[in-house]
Amino acid sequence: MATEEPRYYDLRHLVGTSTHIDIENGTIEAAGQSFADTAIVRALGAAGWGMVIIDNFSEVGDSGLKRAVADALALSQATGERVELADVQTGVLPVPAIKEDPREVSLEEKTELLASIESATRLPGIVNTRARYIESEGTVRFMDSSGNEYHYESLRSGYSILAVAGRGGEMQMARESEHAITGLNMRHKEQKGREAAERALLLLDAAPARGGTMHAILDPELAGVFAHEAIGHASEGDLVKEGVSVLKGMTGQQIASPVVTVVDDPTLPEFGFMPVDAEGCAVKRTEIIRDGVLKNYLHSRETLAAVGSGEAGHARAEGSSSPIVRMSNTFIENGDATMDELLEGCKTGILLKGSRGGQVDPGRGVFQFNAEYGYLIEDGEQRGMVRDVSLSGDILSTMHNIALCGTDRKMTPGYCGKGGQSVPVTDGSPHLLLKRAVVGGRHA
Amino acid sequence: MHNVTDYADLVEAVLAKAAREADEAEVYLSVSDHVSLELRRSQVGEAEKAVGWALGIRTITDGHIGASMTMSPARWEDCLAAALASGRIADPQAWGGLPEPVQFSRETDVFDSSLVPDADTATDLITALCGAAEGGEAEIAGGGVSLGRGSALIANTHGIFYTREATSASASLEVINGTSTGYEFDHVTHLGDLNTERVAEEAVFLADYWAGAGDVDSCTADIILTPTALSQLIGGILMPALSGRNVHAGRSYLADKKGEPCMDPSFVLYDDPYVGNGATRWDADGVATRRLDFIGDGTVQSFAYDLRTAYRYGQTSTGSAVRSGAGGAPEIGVHCLKLDARRDDVRQEKAISAHGLIGAHTANTITGDFSVELSNAAWVEDGEYGAPIRSAMLSGNLFAMLADIAGAGEEKREIGRMTLPEVRFKNLHVIGK
Repeated sequence: MATEEPRYYDLRHLVGTSTHIDIENGTIEAAGQSFADTAIVRALGAAGWGMVIIDNFSEVGDSGLKRAVADALALSQATGERVELADVQTGVLPVPAIKEDPREVSLEEKTELLASIESATRLPGIVNTRARYIESEGTVRFMDSSGNEYHYESLRSGYSILAVAGRGGEMQMARESEHAITGLNMRHKEQKGREAAERALLLLDAAPARGGTMHAILDPELAGVFAHEAIGHASEGDLVKEGVSVLKGMTGQQIASPVVTVVDDPTLPEFGFMPVDAEGCAVKRTEIIRDGVLKNYLHSRETLAAVGSGEAGHARAEGSSSPIVRMSNTFIENGDATMDELLEGCKTGILLKGSRGGQVDPGRGVFQFNAEYGYLIEDGEQRGMVRDVSLSGDILSTMHNIALCGTDRKMTPGYCGKGGQSVPVTDGSPHLLLKRAVVGGRHA
Repeated sequence: MHNVTDYADLVEAVLAKAAREADEAEVYLSVSDHVSLELRRSQVGEAEKAVGWALGIRTITDGHIGASMTMSPARWEDCLAAALASGRIADPQAWGGLPEPVQFSRETDVFDSSLVPDADTATDLITALCGAAEGGEAEIAGGGVSLGRGSALIANTHGIFYTREATSASASLEVINGTSTGYEFDHVTHLGDLNTERVAEEAVFLADYWAGAGDVDSCTADIILTPTALSQLIGGILMPALSGRNVHAGRSYLADKKGEPCMDPSFVLYDDPYVGNGATRWDADGVATRRLDFIGDGTVQSFAYDLRTAYRYGQTSTGSAVRSGAGGAPEIGVHCLKLDARRDDVRQEKAISAHGLIGAHTANTITGDFSVELSNAAWVEDGEYGAPIRSAMLSGNLFAMLADIAGAGEEKREIGRMTLPEVRFKNLHVIGK
């Protein structure tokens, strides 16, 4: 039976400007700005959610909001699942201070800064360079039928540089990028361009990796992707609720080696920072795993009510898409192992460095991710460079195979895709020693 | 239901003002209505309507190309100013002008006038989808149905004023049996073509058959990639290598291979922009589309060009511009890609078949090297599925694989903007558990 009034409704309205610069092989291909104005209105009817997404929302005004709520409520009649919302803390954190506001730097100057990094990448032997800058800024307005209302400013900016080295028909590439919420970060970064170029050149001489089961040391960037892909996604409350996470029903159980503690913390002033989540919940640090024991799932209000065992405040959305449970800043806590101890513990194996991304099937509990490059380890010492090396495995068994955690946790910004939406995140970890890792390579 | 033609006056106003401030200008407008229902297990948990509106403006002055985009009709003057400012910063390039109007001799068939994006139609479809999933052991975890209707318009200061209407219907289902997952989908332009029954039955088969999957030893074997799996590697590795921009910029493995046999002689790849989900008579530059033969007889025959890349490198546009670049600018893509190879009974001799790949986007897009986890992989022989494989990693190089094709299956499937059969590749390295 339809209700005449929604049990709950909320509005999230984004108005903002995105800036992009694209430089390739010394040519400024594009440098411009675009304007967004879009909103989502959600209403909870007798059963589930009805949602309306409207571009150009600024022009519809209060009458438009009322109409959108009515439309969303009417749509909710098509749902069958009775959705309940957990009571949660509300409130918004202050946005971290900006060191240099990119909005106050002209597009011309930002283009020159990016060009300087791109120029530094053009070393002999480099056949292609491509540098990109992206900045998104705007205001977010949230209000709901419970009387909560927030406004906050959102600002993210960063650059990436790709270098392609070529020799005798062979090509290899390397990439560097930095993205932040703390303001413009392109000054005096020419070294980053040179690093990408030098690594691309080194990869021309690197041997293809040998695949098989072996001990592996993961650098902080790749280990961060591991924390995100293998652990973070499987702890998302919507997947647990729908029965497609291997971590379903496992809170309180020892699911990882005792050296492993994994946290998702949207309050950190990192790239995945949120002052408030996408449905108005206060955000807080959430320990997913403590000393190898599964403690908490990540939740929205809906999944917390349905599943329990965790914390809300983890609903996120790209633009005006519907909020879904997502990670923010996800990391493995520091352990106490030195690099020498990691190398000695590995003895013979492989050191995997950098990341080209990863993917997980949380229902099967299988993950895969790709390092940018690696080094063989023989007799506890780092040897020759290898390329095209990846890692896959079973989440539950791999978690028990983390033998040592280093002391050098580092956070790396990036983007995460789920449900067709991409959101900014940060992954982090110290160096890890992973025993009996399944390493992919073209040669047996 | 709104339509781009409702905004004809706005388009004329933009072009009139832009013509006073730039040598040439172009407006691209798209509007859309979508309704979708999303499953939470076997019940609908979300019903969503999306009303989209986007205006892109491009200006060209002395070879300086600028672009901007807005979601607000009232901000078109800001958008035009941003496009002009953008053009002043971009380096100038050789430019031969925006296209002139042409008469099209053929029509496309991507609009179903009977398809109305409403919740009732979507409810009927999702009921059929869930009903068809009953009978197996796997349980529904998620999925959904989406119906869309949209129109797009391109107009420029040379007199082009083209419009295109399109409809879409899609269904997807994710099911699970223990820790064995199955996922299937369908996406069509005409409602009557949407096959919810196939989506449901195939998803349930994948989850149920693989529920008892076992391990496999590391080995070298022939690998059959189904259209779903193959489309990921083709889209992520091969298509960027055929982009004229990447070819001339030094980022394509195929840059120096045009005219040289470098793939299996039976391998064929072409874009037929009149047949398929992405069918269109004009590309995102307003250039008339045409068939584009990328690969034939195992030889690279053409690369893809949009207008700006073609002018820069002394080539001709192949009508390959799509609207997906930053700020709504055109960039090189495909409309309706077709892939084929020598037809064979690819499942007769023993091989490993894989329905999906996990991590295909982590491939080395320049060298073609990749390493992925196989999803729903199984031994096949005598045309039948054999032992399902729980977990295995496949490493290879797509360009080397395309030079060593064992054959292609009879049946083709449309995945996004590609239509392709399953293809058997020889002697690949599989890492077992």
